[in-house]
Amino acid sequence: MNIFAKLGHDIVRLWSEYAGLYLSGVWNTVSLAVLCTAVGCIIGLLCGVLNTIPFTNNDNIFKRILLRAIRIINQIYVEVFRGTPMILQAVVIYYGLPYFTNYALRFSNVWLCAFVVVSVNTGAYMSESVRGGIISIDPGQTEGAKAIGMTHWQTMTNVILPQALRNILPQIGNNLIINIKDTSVMSIIGFTEFFAIHKSIAGTTYQYFPSAAIEMVGYLSLTLIASFLLRMWEKKMDGAGSYELVQVDSLTMTAGTYSHPKRGSNYDEQSKEFRGRVKQSLKFGRNRGER
Amino acid sequence: MEEKILNIKHLSKSFGSHEVLRDIDFSVAKGDVISIIGASGSGKSTLLRCINLLETPTRGEIWYRDENVADRKVKPHEYRSHVGMVFQSFNLFNNMSVLKNCMIGQMKVLGRSREEAKRIAMDYLQKVGMAPYINAKPRQISGGQKQRVAIARALAMNPEVLLFDEPTSALDPEMVGEVLMVMQQLAQEGMTMLVVTHEMAFARDVSSRVVYMNEGVICEQGSPEEIFGNPQKQETKDFLARFRNA
Repeated sequence: MNIFAKLGHDIVRLWSEYAGLYLSGVWNTVSLAVLCTAVGCIIGLLCGVLNTIPFTNNDNIFKRILLRAIRIINQIYVEVFRGTPMILQAVVIYYGLPYFTNYALRFSNVWLCAFVVVSVNTGAYMSESVRGGIISIDPGQTEGAKAIGMTHWQTMTNVILPQALRNILPQIGNNLIINIKDTSVMSIIGFTEFFAIHKSIAGTTYQYFPSAAIEMVGYLSLTLIASFLLRMWEKKMDGAGSYELVQVDSLTMTAGTYSHPKRGSNYDEQSKEFRGRVKQSLKFGRNRGER
Repeated sequence: MEEKILNIKHLSKSFGSHEVLRDIDFSVAKGDVISIIGASGSGKSTLLRCINLLETPTRGEIWYRDENVADRKVKPHEYRSHVGMVFQSFNLFNNMSVLKNCMIGQMKVLGRSREEAKRIAMDYLQKVGMAPYINAKPRQISGGQKQRVAIARALAMNPEVLLFDEPTSALDPEMVGEVLMVMQQLAQEGMTMLVVTHEMAFARDVSSRVVYMNEGVICEQGSPEEIFGNPQKQETKDFLARFRNA
C-alpha cells in the first residue's frame, strides 16, 4: 500500500507543479488530432470519389486516360503513405525539404509540418475506407438515382456519399483515436504534444514512472471521450427508430368556416338543453323518439 | 393520328459474346400500356434497361420524339428525367424519408422549389395511398408500400413514359394486389406504360398491347385478345400453356 501512497504523492506533486505544461500538451495533441482527422477525411473523400468515377469504353479517350491516371496516382499515394512509418515520413519531409532545396524551402513551423504529415497520412487510410464505403452501397441506389435523371455528381452527393459516410463513420472514429495516440511520434521533429511534454518533464525531474502514469490516464481519457462522442454522432445519424403517421386531416380545409352558435341558444354546447340532448343520445342512441 | 413517343429501331445488346437482344423493332405511342411477357432470360428486362439507357445498346437507335438518344452525344441524364422507371428491388434512397425520396429528383433535376416539390410529392403519395407514411424511412415500411412510394417518386417527375421492371416480383403474394391496383389506376388515367411482368392477369386485363419475347427477339405482339385468345406462334402457345397449368 505504501508504494501506491508514494505514487499518488508523486503524481500530485508533479501535477501541481507542471499542470499547465501537461494541459498545453493535451491541447496540442487534441487540436492536431482532430484537425488532421477532419482534413484527412476530406482528402480521403476526394480521393475515394475520384477513384470511383465510372468509365466505359464508350467514353472519349481523354476522359478514359485522365480517370486512369487519377487512379494510378491515387494508388501510389496510398501505398507510399500507408506503407511507411509516420515517424519516418515526418523526418523525411521536415529535414528532406531544406536538404533538397538548399534551405530555400522548409517548414518554418513545426506545427505546420506535423499537420501536413498527419493529414496526408490519415488521407491515405481514409481514401481506401471511402472507396470501400462507396462500393458497399447497393448498385440499385445508383440506378434509382440515375433513373430519375440525376447526374453522377448529384447521385454521389445526395444518395451515395451520405450512406457511405454513415458506413465509414466507425472507421473515422478509428482514425481519430489512432491520431490522438500516434501524434506522439511528432515529438521526433520537436512538436510539443502530450508525450513530448512527458519526456521533458521526466528529463528534468527524473520522475519517469509517475509522469508516465499521468500520461496513461490522460491518453485513455482522451480516447474514451472521443469514442463516446463518436457513438453519439452515429446514433444521431441513424435517426429515430420509429416514425409518426401523418393523419390527413380533412377538417383543415374547412378551418375558419365554422362559427360558434350564440351563447344560450339551443345549439350552444354550454346550454342545459344541448347537454341534455347529448346525454340522452349517448345513453339511448341518436334516433330515440324519431321512429 | 397517334403520337409516337418512343421508336426503337434495330436495337441489339450483347454482353461479351452473348447476344441478349437481337434486332428489336418496337414503338410506343402516347397512352399505350404495353406488357412485355416472356420466360426468364428472354431479354425483357434488358430491353427496358436499354430504353432507359441504364445499359448502353450495342447497336441500333432509340428515338425519343425526334432525338436519337442511343447516340453517344446525348447526355443520358437529361433524357432519363422524361422516362420514369420502377424497379423490381424498389431502389428507394435509404438515407431519405418517403417524402424526401419523392422530392429530391424534382428539386435537383427539374429545379422545382421546395414548396412546389413537396406539394407535387404529396399529391402523388396521396394517390398511391402512402401520404400517412411521409416521415417513414424505406427500411421501416413493407415491400408493397416501398413499391408504391417508388411509383410516386417516378410520377412526381412527370415522365412521359413509365417503365416497370417486374414491379411485383419481389413482393409477398398478399402485397402484389395493392401495387397492381395503383398501376391499373394509372393505366386508366392514360399514363403511357411499359410493363415487364409475370402477372398474366394484369397483362390480359389492363394492357392495350402485349409483347411476347423469346430468346432476345420479339416473337409475337398484338392485343391481349390476340395473344391470350389466339396465339399464332408455337413458342407463344407453349409459354402460355405453362402459365395456365401453373
